[in-house]
Amino acid sequence: MSTRENILNRLRQNVRETYDMPDLSFEKTTYADPIAEFIHQTTTTAGAKLIEVKPGDDLNELIRQAYPDAHVIASNLPNIKADKNPDTVSCAQDLDGTDVGVVEGGVACAENACVWVPMNMKQKAILFISESLVIIVHRENIVSNMHEAYEWLKAKDASPEGTSLYGFGTFISGPSKTADIEQSLVYGAQAAKSLTVLLI
Amino acid sequence: MKIGLFIPCYVDALYPEVGVLTYRLLTSLGLEVEYPEKQTCCGQPMGNAGFQGMADKLVENYDELFRPYDYVVAPSASCAAYVRFFHQGIVKHECEAAKRTMDVVEFLHDVIGLENMKARGFKASFPHKVSLHNSCHGVRELGLSSPSEKSIPRFNKIRDLLSIVNDIEIVEPERPDECCGFGGMFSVEEPDVSARMGRDKIARHIATGAEYITGPDSSCLMHMSGIAAKDGEKRIKFIHVVEILAQGL
Amino acid sequence: MSTKHSKAAEKFLKDYDKVTRHDQTFWSVRAKRDVLAYELKEWEQLREAASNIKKHTITHLADYLEEFERNATANGAIVHWAKDADEYNDIVMQIMQAHDVHKVVKGKSMLTEECHLNSNLIKHGIDVVETDLGERILQLMGLPPSHIIMPAIHITREQVKDNFAQQGILEKNGKMGAESMGVSDKTQLEAEADPTYLTRCARYHLRDNFMEAECGMTGANFAIASTGEIVVCTNEGNADMSTSVPLLHIASVGIEKVIPNYDAMGVFQRLLARHGTGQATTVYTSHFRKPRPEGEFHIILVDNGRSNFLADPEHWQTLKCMRCGACMNTCPVYRRSMGYSYTYFIPGPIGINLGMLKDKDANYHNCSACSLCLSCENVCPVQVDLGTQIYKWRQNLDSMGHADPMKKAMSQGMKILFQNPKLYTTALKFAPLANSLPSFLTGIKLNAWCKYHTMPHFASKSFHEMWKKGEVK
Repeated sequence: MSTRENILNRLRQNVRETYDMPDLSFEKTTYADPIAEFIHQTTTTAGAKLIEVKPGDDLNELIRQAYPDAHVIASNLPNIKADKNPDTVSCAQDLDGTDVGVVEGGVACAENACVWVPMNMKQKAILFISESLVIIVHRENIVSNMHEAYEWLKAKDASPEGTSLYGFGTFISGPSKTADIEQSLVYGAQAAKSLTVLLI
Repeated sequence: MKIGLFIPCYVDALYPEVGVLTYRLLTSLGLEVEYPEKQTCCGQPMGNAGFQGMADKLVENYDELFRPYDYVVAPSASCAAYVRFFHQGIVKHECEAAKRTMDVVEFLHDVIGLENMKARGFKASFPHKVSLHNSCHGVRELGLSSPSEKSIPRFNKIRDLLSIVNDIEIVEPERPDECCGFGGMFSVEEPDVSARMGRDKIARHIATGAEYITGPDSSCLMHMSGIAAKDGEKRIKFIHVVEILAQGL
Repeated sequence: MSTKHSKAAEKFLKDYDKVTRHDQTFWSVRAKRDVLAYELKEWEQLREAASNIKKHTITHLADYLEEFERNATANGAIVHWAKDADEYNDIVMQIMQAHDVHKVVKGKSMLTEECHLNSNLIKHGIDVVETDLGERILQLMGLPPSHIIMPAIHITREQVKDNFAQQGILEKNGKMGAESMGVSDKTQLEAEADPTYLTRCARYHLRDNFMEAECGMTGANFAIASTGEIVVCTNEGNADMSTSVPLLHIASVGIEKVIPNYDAMGVFQRLLARHGTGQATTVYTSHFRKPRPEGEFHIILVDNGRSNFLADPEHWQTLKCMRCGACMNTCPVYRRSMGYSYTYFIPGPIGINLGMLKDKDANYHNCSACSLCLSCENVCPVQVDLGTQIYKWRQNLDSMGHADPMKKAMSQGMKILFQNPKLYTTALKFAPLANSLPSFLTGIKLNAWCKYHTMPHFASKSFHEMWKKGEVK
């Protein structure tokens, strides 16, 4: 018998009492103004920057202002001026040295400033290897809590576009951080040192 | 209502005055209290040591002895908790008296009630600042107060009970229900951790500026006072809740 | 009467201030959890839901594992099954050899530690680089972790600096580290062992490794059956770097990590970081479904005893554990004895329980490391009855042949005494004699009580005696 059969048999044999899936419909915390809460959490707890984009604003200009010293911009978004494209680089390593990666976000969660960033590019390294990351968030995609965020993903799963193009997605809340040395908070551990949300 | 008084072994031997005052307090409220003499111990020392099976006869004796009473009241939160929550796991027959066993604080607070106590002439004055020692088994087994870990409305039966004592000032230390480190056998099997926990707890009580540490469990008080005495720490005194409540008697 | 834990704790406790710092550090995480818990009115309902979801999933685990495998395979992942650590390591090596792997970059995974992955890889000549900062520091220093979430918190910044200097990291990566802070001269940063500087040095040191490695390994916080994906949560982004550069990803997943669907995931995502680090969320909550273009994605489902734990009526609920570390943070004993005092690689309340399930004979010593305060049960996001289970393990020590003889003798003595009311009351009569025991006897080092306490004073008349004499009024 294979290991697989072994394990499955043992699991079936060793169960005594079974339990049902619980009712998850209890009331969850929601915000009267999720957008305001999202902005608040993003710019405080998450340690990120947030720019409210006004109609007529040029995204490339906003990015340049936010990161004036940036030399290498990476993006596969059609309206972003980029030096590298995560769809066309020959390998992930080629994205090293990116100052600013610019990507599109999906659902955004107010309670914890998480933004769903789907892998809609060939190399997801752009999300982590860039020194700074810019995520475009649309107001109508902001929800109160993670239950609602996962409902949004379930709806996407049921739709033809799915939750992502390449079968990966990540909720990102602010820049990379660690407090592993004497509990001292440091931004920019292994991934982005800074994160900016462009709120459209 | 007939009450059976249960005086745990170490209260019996080391702090009998707590037992005497418990009797006095309950009778002063017009309650009928009996003390069945054949009682000894709740069995917790054996249980914590890993030999709960050795307490089987003791558990049966307890049930037989205390069955006739409507309530069994003990001036010790951890002993009341051990009886109520652990006795049934030690023997096969149904433990009746265990279900009706309560610590004196919860008995007075829940069964008699503060208004009723006042109506029955409860009067005490204790013009001192006291720091509440929320013993673990009281908090997390008997529900004497809301555990600090839980996101539930705050309540504290010990505080409520003491608040009808005149002139008293009640405070709580930081980390209000962190363990003092007694844990029965724990104090002798892990003496260094136990003592450090005790010292830290005493320091937090002292930091409130209180004159007394008070709680429903003489075991915690014994542990902390023993450490304080050994350390020459004189800045705070120890008193059982019942001793405060019985001040007017 | 002593155990390996009590002896190790005694040593640790000699440094008063170090213990204070250790205790404050982990209490502060507990305190952060409290703030977040009190903010959510649905907190206790979330815990109850999480516990019930796990109870449901674990008792239907075979079905959910099959569903997970079906969906993961349809996504293009390659699913393997390992019955124990040996088989797990064999599978890993087969994959390594098939891809000619020389270097592995690794995210934090308790399961891989449980299976001794690193030493096996090294034995086969494969370089394994831990990429979580705390784990990397410990790896370079040759030390084990002391906590499952903050493994290196007990290491001082000076120790980190000295080690990085020894390893050549400050020389190789110091300039970039300083520049990333906008500082041109690193001298002052090094003199002060500045944590940001040290972290950034590690960043560029690890970056070099991410670039070169042929394989990235992660654990999994959750494996979602309905979609066949795994979820990995980190603050540093190291698991993501490990799996975004090298084309080969191997995920090691304990079979108990499976959850049914996205509804369940919502509950767990909200609980994990709040419990583990006192944040509303980790920075990254990454969902891996398909292999990357030109890449390969392997998922190894590991049993290693879990299917047997299920048969234990008293202890199967430890399978609910999310490895969040909250129980350690709240445990007053863990905070004052640290991870190295425990014989199992996972310390604290969950470690005591898991250690007993894994190897009773090696780990029974940890059962003394508990005052039964039950704080752990109240902080556990999935309501594992940790303290109650430790009490139950203690009841079984005697039949395992591991009961302390002195505790057994004392309990036997108490049994005789307490079963016999006449004997008991007689003993009470004589007890006050102990008051006049010469202090050299009570002060004696062998008497564990008197090490830190004065002897309790036996009342001249017990309550029993006073009652008999009609003195109780």
